[in-house]
Formats: sequence, C-alpha cells, structure tokens
Amino acid sequence: MENIMLPSPHKILSIVKETQAEYTFRVAYEGETKHGQFFQLSIPKVGEAPISVSGKGEGYIEFTIRKIGRLTQGIFGLQPGDVLFMRGPYGNAFPVDQFKGKDLVVICGGTGMAPVKTLLNHFYDHPEEGKSVHLICGFKDLGCVLFTEEIEKFKGKFHVIPTLDNSSAPGFETGMVTAHIGKIPFNSFEDYNVVIVGPPVMMRFAALECVKHGVPEDKIWVSFERRMSCAVGKCGHCKINETYVCLEGPVFNYSRARELLD
Amino acid sequence: MMISKAESRGRADLYRLLSRLYEREADQALLDSLRGLSLPEDNDDLKQGAAALRDYLAAAGPDAVDELAVDYAAVFLAAGSAEGAAALPCESVYTSPRRIFMQEAWEQVCRLYAGKGLGRAEGRADLMEDHLALELAFQGWLVDNGTVREQKSFLESHLLNWLPAFAADVDKYGRTPFYKAVTRITLGFLALERGLLEGLESGELSMARSFSVRNDRLAPILARLKEQYRVFAPKRFPKRGLKGADLIRYGEIDALTDIVYKEKSHLSAKEVFYPVSQTLFRFNGEECTQEEPADGREIILLARPCDINAVRRLDTIFLRNGQPDLYYARMREKLHLFLLECKEGFDNCFCVSMGSNVALDYEAAVRIDDICALVEVKNEAFLPYFQDEVPIDFAPEFVSENRRAARVPEIRREQLAEITVLDYWKQFDDKCIGCGGCNTACPTCSCFDTVDVIYHETSRDGERRRVWSGCMLEDFTRTAGGALARKTPGANMRFKVLHKIFDFKLRFGEEHMCVGCGRCIDRCPKDIDYLDAINGLSDLLAGKEG
Repeated sequence: MENIMLPSPHKILSIVKETQAEYTFRVAYEGETKHGQFFQLSIPKVGEAPISVSGKGEGYIEFTIRKIGRLTQGIFGLQPGDVLFMRGPYGNAFPVDQFKGKDLVVICGGTGMAPVKTLLNHFYDHPEEGKSVHLICGFKDLGCVLFTEEIEKFKGKFHVIPTLDNSSAPGFETGMVTAHIGKIPFNSFEDYNVVIVGPPVMMRFAALECVKHGVPEDKIWVSFERRMSCAVGKCGHCKINETYVCLEGPVFNYSRARELLD
Repeated sequence: MMISKAESRGRADLYRLLSRLYEREADQALLDSLRGLSLPEDNDDLKQGAAALRDYLAAAGPDAVDELAVDYAAVFLAAGSAEGAAALPCESVYTSPRRIFMQEAWEQVCRLYAGKGLGRAEGRADLMEDHLALELAFQGWLVDNGTVREQKSFLESHLLNWLPAFAADVDKYGRTPFYKAVTRITLGFLALERGLLEGLESGELSMARSFSVRNDRLAPILARLKEQYRVFAPKRFPKRGLKGADLIRYGEIDALTDIVYKEKSHLSAKEVFYPVSQTLFRFNGEECTQEEPADGREIILLARPCDINAVRRLDTIFLRNGQPDLYYARMREKLHLFLLECKEGFDNCFCVSMGSNVALDYEAAVRIDDICALVEVKNEAFLPYFQDEVPIDFAPEFVSENRRAARVPEIRREQLAEITVLDYWKQFDDKCIGCGGCNTACPTCSCFDTVDVIYHETSRDGERRRVWSGCMLEDFTRTAGGALARKTPGANMRFKVLHKIFDFKLRFGEEHMCVGCGRCIDRCPKDIDYLDAINGLSDLLAGKEG
C-alpha cells in the first residue's frame, strides 16, 4: 500500500523576495501539475501546510509563501540548495477545457493571485486557446504588490486592472476589487467564465458583485484556502459540511461553493 | 449436529495413536493398550480393520513383540527384501515419479510445519518429515490448533493422496495381519475424517462454538492468547482521571481482573488502533524514512457494541475517504474484535437511538461475571483456546432500551443554510471552553494534526507525528495565514453536531457517525449535554416545520 503521508525531498533552486513578507521558492520538480493544484509543504520545525503552485516551468515549480506567524516562519531559514520535503500535487484544478474559446475574467486579491498565475500564464502563452482575458488584481497597498513583472507582462495581452485597497500609486486604481467589477464588459461576451481567488470575505463579496452584474452563478469559479494536515481526506480540518476541500476542491463552482457553509 | 470437544479430543488422540504405530516397532505396552481400545466402526474399512486387529491380539502369544518387530522392519524399512518389495511410509515415495525420498511432497510438508512453528519432535529425528507417523501427528495437532479448512486441506493433499497406494503395498508385503489391520483402520478413519470435515466446512455439521469458562480456567487461556496476541480491554488507572478520580481507558491487560466490565470506560477503544500520538516517519536534512511498527503481534480488542460499531466509522474515514491510510490500515489488519457484552448500558448512553446497540461483526463475544465467563467464538482460529471448556448455548444479548434517547432530526441538505444561522448555537458560545475533551472521548472522532518534533534545536533531524485533534478546539480551522473558518464555540458545536448526525451519513450513506456512547456528555467539564443539543435542535426544527 502506498504511504500517502510520506513526503519526498526536493531541492530548492532559488528564493525570490516578492514583498517584505512574501517570497517565491523555486523547487526542483519533474511531473505534471494542473492549474490550481497545491502541495503539502513541510515547514521545518513545524509541520505541513497546503501551498498552491504559483508558477511552473521545465524541471521546477514555484510556491509563493507569506512570512506570517509561527507556521510558515521555519521555511524562511532555508537556502537554495537545501531540501524541501513535499507531497502532492493535490486537489482538482480550474476546468481549463471549459475555459477554451471563451472570454475569461480573473479577480484575485493578495496572495490569491498565486493559485491563478499558472492559469493566466497558460492563456498568455496560448492566446489561440482563449478569447479575451480580463484580470482584476487587488492588493492592500503598494508594499504588498506581488508578481510586479508578470503583471506588467500580462498587460501586453490582457485587460489588466491592478488596484490598491485604499491608497493610490501610479499604474494602480484605487479601491477593493469589487469596485472594479462593473468595468468588465460582461454584456459584450458571448460565453465566459469568472475565476475569483482571495480571502474568504473578498471572494464572497466579489461573487455577489458579479451576480449583481448579471453573471450566472455557474459561470463563477472560486478556490478555497483551508487548513489541512493531510490533504488526503483524513485529518478533517478542511471539511465543510459533507465536503472535503482537499478531495473535492480546492476549486469549486460557485453554485456549489455557496452551499458550503462554515 | 454439534461436534463436542470430547469428540475433537478423541480424534486427535486417534491420530496420535496411529502415528505411534507407524513411528517405530510396537512394544508390549502398546499392544496392551490396543487390547482395551474401542474404535469407531462407521465404515467397512474401520469395521474389518478393527475385527482383524482384535483377532490378532486375541491370538497373540509372548512372541508377538518380536514377530511384529520383524514385520515392521520388513514392510516399512524394506529389511531383507529386494528394492521395491516394501511399503516405505513416506509420501514422496508414493507421489514422485521415480518413487524416491525427499521430493516435492516432502518440501511442501516441511514448509507447512515450519509455518506453524513446528520443528522436529524429540526422538523422531530419524524420520523424514513426510513420514506417515509425522503426517498423522501433524494432522492431530491441526485438530487441536488448526482450522477446519487447514485440516481438510492437509488430509486431502498429504494423506489421502497416497494412503490407498501405500495400504495396497502393506497388504502385499505384510507378513502378519497386524499392520494390514492397522493400515485398514487408518484408511477407514481418514475416510471418516474426510466426511466430518466436509460436513463442518459446508456447515451441515458444526463445532461447538459457545463455552462456559470458570474464571480460574480463564487465566491460562488468557496466558495462551497472550503468547500470540496483545490483549486490550477497559482497564482501571487509579487516580488518573478528572479531579483525582480513577480513569478507565483501554489498555493491554495482564490478568482477567484487569478488565473493568461493570463501568463505562471514560475513553473509547479507538486509542488501541489509532494512537493518540503516532510517529509517521523520521527525517533529516536529506530524506524521510517511514516508521515501522515496534510490535508486530496481532491485537485482541475486547470492546462494547458501541465501540465495535465505531470501528467501522473510523474505517470509513481512514480507508474509504480518498486513498487508504497505511498507518491505520496496518494496525487495523491486526485487530481482532471481541465483543464485551453490554446488556444494560450506563448513564447518558443512547446507543439504541443510534442503532449501534447491536454489533455482530465480532470474532468472539464474552459475557463476564465474578464466577465465570460465557464465550461465543465466531472466528474458528480462536476455537482451540476454548475447546476443552464446557459447551453451552450462549449468544450475547444487547441493550434494548437506554435510560435516555436521542430524537435525531431528519435534516434535508437544503435546510442547512437555515440551520447554520440559528441563534440556537449561540448558547454554546459562553459555555464551551474549547477544551476538546468531547473529541478525545468520542469513539468516532478521527481528526488529527501533524506535528514535527525536532531532536535538537540546531539540526534538521526529527520526526513527524500525528496527534489527535478536534473540531471543538479554537484553532482547528486556522490556516497558516491566520484566517479562521469557524470563529466561535457555537459554530464549532454546530459543526460537530451536524457531522455526527447529518453530514457523515449524507456523504457515506448507511449510518450516522455518532454511536450514542454518551462519553462526550460524561466528559464535558462545563456540563454541555450533547444529547440535549441534538434533541433541542430536533424540537426547534419540528417547531419550525409545524
């Protein structure tokens, strides 16, 4: 019987500082991951936490981790060349096949951009697979902006609205992501999907705002961040009602997600 | 028809006697004992063999021992004859194409004996393992220690497969009627055995399965069981409970008197096969190494129906929700569930409401009192331990009514939004202190955290453990980023109650998670009554509906 709790070692290739608090770890990895999946990363001296894949390329994947609290601190003592224990990938993924040939709207807040970044890059690299891409990415303030270079890159092919919650800066709008949803030309789309990822409150209000603008619930996709000790349906931490986020999620269609009640 | 222990004893004795007859030459004592022997006469071989033996013994004079020694040497050792003019009593000779010793059959029986931990018997070192004497002795041992299937398999594959040909040779080369009669009896007895074992296997016949055992006779049985198994039962830990009271929890028992059967255990049986804290693997800076179990022995767990029914619920989580969990599976495989009869229940029990008062998937059931134990054995492998005891008619009884009852509401999925926001749950905000004691005492709570333990502050050497957790703990849903999905004790209580009496069944079908043991009620330091919580919800929903 396979030991689903046993992680394997992977070498850290590089560590890039994104903000004061967020770092991207590039880790050697051979294998497929789907957009929106996550790994259980072993955080030295602490334990495991589920971390979304924020980037991938030939022979590596990336994780963007926020240095906050006790739980993730241990990982920041690691250097390139050190070994990181991890297991995965886990969870379902955004239904890219359903997105093909349609307009796509991505609304993300803060580190919520990490789980959608490989999806965005997929349509950036394969524009022939999609139609238009609209991206609203919100951050608390200028110091919290993640993936600056890639946001600039996306501007080349996507309609991008970067925004800061309550401050202004050149190149940024001001206000919560919800304040900008009205700018999306939903009426001009023939068929489309909306992906919303961020803190629970942000996702809830962004989804409500979309619905207010006439977006059908089943066109909206969200991704849940939950505590998980196992990611394989045993530890119970991520359960909401009869649903195990690790097994059936983290990506849910909003028509189902709205029935999951904590 | 029931086969009594006395008959089993008689069968094993006859195998041993026949084994002795082929093992070496007869002596006077053996002949004397044969004179008083009464044999079954269920078929012609047995009848005629017994008659021939009686005739020989009746006519035997003082020279009989010498005469038989010569006959034994000639027939079985091929003394004084050209090759082939004997009946060499080894299976390989009769089953190998070239009729020689130590062939495939010999290898097979060697493996079988070794698999049972049997070496060569004292004084029999000169015999091949597939010698008839040793094969009969092994079959006798199986009557005492093996299953019906094992007995039937050995009888058919290693005795009846060559005995007829061997008997024909004995008939041909024997010089006295003695060994011809013995062989005839052997053939007849083995035919009788085949019929018996076929009957037992098909269920037309049955072994006695229930026994009365005096407590003083239980001690050696427990000792024998403990040679092969670790035996766990509810046990008293003086002054280790709340406020200096005794704690009753499951532990490995050394003596019968360790078993606490008159009180409810404070903790459930789950800790026996799902430890409170368990090392999953050890790691250094380079690799992880899976932890192997320290004790490979199988486990007998003596538990009440509620706890036995709870095992199936834990199986559901660990083995059927996603991929199976190796650590749980390997403990679970070793587990033999013995039912500790529970006829009355205790305070706060409501197993009848949850349908978990009856458990039938046990390997043995035990009713204990101060004088004796009544035992029903379902798994044949445990029969040999009880075969010498007094057969009786016993099957365990179950609680049919508790002092308290649950009114489990029939919740529909679409009611959940309404139930989630009920003010009802707020009553627990001030009362519950989030200690998780209810989760710990619950036989079906399966949640855990993983925790890394580092051996030295400066190194990366350490181990990962999984440790019981619980949904009533304040930080149960707190993510690495600090977000909390359920923020109040009331929300946690709602989550727990609905998991136990609604969404587990919704997800997995069949049964609710809660087994109604009431331990969470017994255990709560703030006197939160989970049964009242269920019934209160039920009343509230009924009121709303109406």
